[in-house]
Amino acid sequence: MALTTNYSNKSLLILDDMPEARSSLRSQVGMLGFERVVVSGNARDALEQFRKHRFDVILADYYLGEGTDGQQFLEFLRTRHIIGRGVLFIMVTAEKRYESVVTAAECLPDDYLLKPFTAEVLKLRLERLLEKKQRLARIDKLQDRGDWTGVIAACDEIIEARDRYMVDAMRIKGNALIAAGRHDDAVVFYQLMLLERPLPWSKLGLARALHLRGDSTDSKDTLNGLIAEAPQLMAAYDLLGKVHLASGDPDAALAVLDSACAISPNSLARHRAVASVAEEKGDFKRVEQALDKVVRRTRNTPLRETNDIARLGNALTELGEPAKAVSIIGEALTNYKGDAQDPMLAAVEAVAQQKAGNPDKARAALERALQADATKLPVATTMAVAKACLSTGRHDEAQGILRKLVQTHHEATDLHQRVSTVLRDHGAAAIAESLVADSVNEIIQLNNDAVRRARAGELGPAAQMLTEAAQRLPGNTQIVANAAAALYFDVLHNGLDAEKVRQAQVFQKAVQAVAPGHPKLAEIAALVSQIREKFAASAQ
Amino acid sequence: MIDFPALAALTIHDVKNRLNLLVQLAERKGDSETLRLAMEAAATLMRLLHAYKAGTGQLQPNLDARVPADLVDELAAEFRAQTPLRLELELAAAPVLAYYDEALVRMVLQDALYNAMRHARDTIRISVRSVAGQIEFSVADDGPGYPPQMLGTPAMAMAADGGGTGLGLYLAGQVARLHVNGDRRGEVCLGNDAGAVFRLRLPL
Repeated sequence: MALTTNYSNKSLLILDDMPEARSSLRSQVGMLGFERVVVSGNARDALEQFRKHRFDVILADYYLGEGTDGQQFLEFLRTRHIIGRGVLFIMVTAEKRYESVVTAAECLPDDYLLKPFTAEVLKLRLERLLEKKQRLARIDKLQDRGDWTGVIAACDEIIEARDRYMVDAMRIKGNALIAAGRHDDAVVFYQLMLLERPLPWSKLGLARALHLRGDSTDSKDTLNGLIAEAPQLMAAYDLLGKVHLASGDPDAALAVLDSACAISPNSLARHRAVASVAEEKGDFKRVEQALDKVVRRTRNTPLRETNDIARLGNALTELGEPAKAVSIIGEALTNYKGDAQDPMLAAVEAVAQQKAGNPDKARAALERALQADATKLPVATTMAVAKACLSTGRHDEAQGILRKLVQTHHEATDLHQRVSTVLRDHGAAAIAESLVADSVNEIIQLNNDAVRRARAGELGPAAQMLTEAAQRLPGNTQIVANAAAALYFDVLHNGLDAEKVRQAQVFQKAVQAVAPGHPKLAEIAALVSQIREKFAASAQ
Repeated sequence: MIDFPALAALTIHDVKNRLNLLVQLAERKGDSETLRLAMEAAATLMRLLHAYKAGTGQLQPNLDARVPADLVDELAAEFRAQTPLRLELELAAAPVLAYYDEALVRMVLQDALYNAMRHARDTIRISVRSVAGQIEFSVADDGPGYPPQMLGTPAMAMAADGGGTGLGLYLAGQVARLHVNGDRRGEVCLGNDAGAVFRLRLPL
């Protein structure tokens, strides 16, 4: 075994707001043989470094000053995919207590290093963690790619080996089962883990799996038990809030999130979550309170998000203060050039300007909002753009946008209600119900027609119909999956056609990417292997 | 009115940051005596912080799967830099993984090691093994041994004497008790062999 690990080819970032600590740590890692070392004194500068360099190891102090900390920095890096799972992130801290307050497992650092520590201990720790990264490298890559079946198989290999990485692999496997949509398997998996040893993360995993398969009562019971045992585990409150919301109880969701905010008042994610629940309830005073805190705290930091400004602007407009909304949006547009391209912000500005008595400016903002590719926008943004059209009198465009939104999510009844409500609120009560009903019927009709024609042996026309619909509504997973199946079915019976196979593969991949657990995928996979068998045989 | 606990927490944080610089400076100069003084001062602060947490019900374990051999290797590296005493490790019977709060167990073992350093003649032995459904960490020295009245598992009663050893043992007992699996709890056990033997046993 090599006595010294070669670090000369590894690049390392040191992030600490204290100059003495930076130079001391730098000389420590220099003694260990690191040659490619970059030091940063704040998160903004560190992010700048990520544009220029790729790092293997990040040593970040928990305290960073300037209203940010190492945890927020890490969450930013992971949620924006600035660093992959293969990058080693070590949090340097004087006290051990932060780990329990963290939001999501994937936003946990790889390890904590408690001060004071000697260079020798740092060396041992780095060796071990890099060894672990190496052992888990394949799994990290599969996870980054979203290949959950691959992740599960790779985890099983490590679990069977029963070595020191066994529990790490179990943890990843549980997440992968959930990500793959195998909720029943995840429930069984976590229940077995809990029999072996009750740990907070496996209880949390069980609650998440129960929630996703629709057992909201069991999920709530599990979470309430977990919170009683581990009141510092913020992720439990966040999930409980979601479960309450999903079971139609936004008041309970808000109460849970409030108690979490009281324990961990600095978490931006939690204030944002409070705002989302309050939006759902239509409680814009609460939205304003929560987002005002977030916007203040992240002003001129890398953690600021344009979306916060947009939602705060919307809340202010709803509260009858469009001038205030116009002012905060104006400030954002002046200071951040990129914000002008944000369709959500532009849509919110259009409504606020209209209400503030500036129709010209409203029109200009709406034009910016309409420039974005509507098929790629999130639901909330699409709703905001439709609302902006309605507020400025462009009803035809609004109806077009809403019709497409309903057809993309033709089974999301809660969204359908929101669409009807927004139409009613903007003087279109007459069509509020019919627009939704007609749009949904059109999709159902289309699916039925395709099935009927397929049964009548018209496989080509059936596939053609669904392909057109899938191209028009790329966000409707059911239509896209049906189109893939219809194309493969057509090929299976009527012979190989390169173009049809290519198109089917595009649809299949699109479904895998957004809904890896979609029930239709198994049927599609079976068709593909039938096609392979049939045409491989005939080729011989 | 000054919020004393908050001020104390900030002060502990600040002093630990300075001690960290001192440790790194001493290490660069190869000054093991200063290194030991700084590390031991940090351990004293840790005891203060944990005593406060224990007293206010905030001492909560964060159990997770850990590799005990790694913890002991790190402690050995840390203490070899501080003392000329021989440090022997016995890890052959250690479980690969065990569930415990690493930061708390580290603190308890550090305190036991400083105590052993004060009494050992020339050797300290750290061993880890699994025995009867428990993981046992032990720190043994070759000094005069514990006085008879301290033997056994009376660690909880010793907080009151105010000295470093008393507080350390009190916290060790608290940490042990916080490690629970079903109806089994951890314990601290003091014995004499060739010298004093400190044992921390946690349910596997």
